[in-house]
Amino acid sequence: MRAVVIGVHLRREDIEPVAEAIPLGELFLSGAAVADDQPLGDRDLVLRVAQMRASLLERATFIAIRYGFAVRSSEEAMAKCATQIERWRRLLALHRDNVEMTLKVAVASTRPRPERQAFASGADYLRALHEATRAADVDPRFREAASRLGNCRWVHRDGRSLECVLLVARDGVERVRAAGEQLKRDFPEIPFLLSGPWPLEVFADDDHK
Amino acid sequence: MPDQSQDLSLLETLDHLLDRGVVIAGEAVISIGDVDLLYLGLNIVLANVDALIRTTERR
Repeated sequence: MRAVVIGVHLRREDIEPVAEAIPLGELFLSGAAVADDQPLGDRDLVLRVAQMRASLLERATFIAIRYGFAVRSSEEAMAKCATQIERWRRLLALHRDNVEMTLKVAVASTRPRPERQAFASGADYLRALHEATRAADVDPRFREAASRLGNCRWVHRDGRSLECVLLVARDGVERVRAAGEQLKRDFPEIPFLLSGPWPLEVFADDDHK
Repeated sequence: MPDQSQDLSLLETLDHLLDRGVVIAGEAVISIGDVDLLYLGLNIVLANVDALIRTTERR
């Protein structure tokens, strides 16, 4: 038996009984038990983990771990995560009362996706793909208005959309939703989707630029 | 009629589960029978191509 890891938490009681608590030094990982012969790509498992992730966030903010990381023991978790524990502890303490919200915006114009056959080197092709994604932008007036909603980081996800990820106090979620409705009225021509709350995903990364 | 907002919510939830959050280095052993042939360091088990590109660029 192993556990697919969902997130990193400050306290055991933030996890149990929703998920399995796996000690990690001063912290705890939340995990969903998975049989050895069950593939991580199993549809029912993915949906179960998504549901657990939402339930865990209702209890307390945690650092999200991207789906796919599984461990068999606390010792194995420690071996793979030891270098991150102090940074995670600091982030969790700092953002205990915060969640993320995501404003996904359709870009104003897109650059054509590079043709793979036009590149001799795989690295050059990846670089061109990345540059095409980075070239995506939204109306600067909308960008400015969205940035005023709070502490935000803009993230290029793909060539067709850009995301404004907001760090929001838990009691400020409704205020941001209301501000999102106002944005729809102010910019009816710009399609966007406001979603959340989410655990710490983008703001778990200290190196974000 | 299907509830489109529920579908959208599920889509967003799965998008965040599969494409957001901290990536942990894992390991995989590829075996035939009882013999371990290769020991690989993996950074991503499930991800879309765009996520792979972003991860590659940041290294």
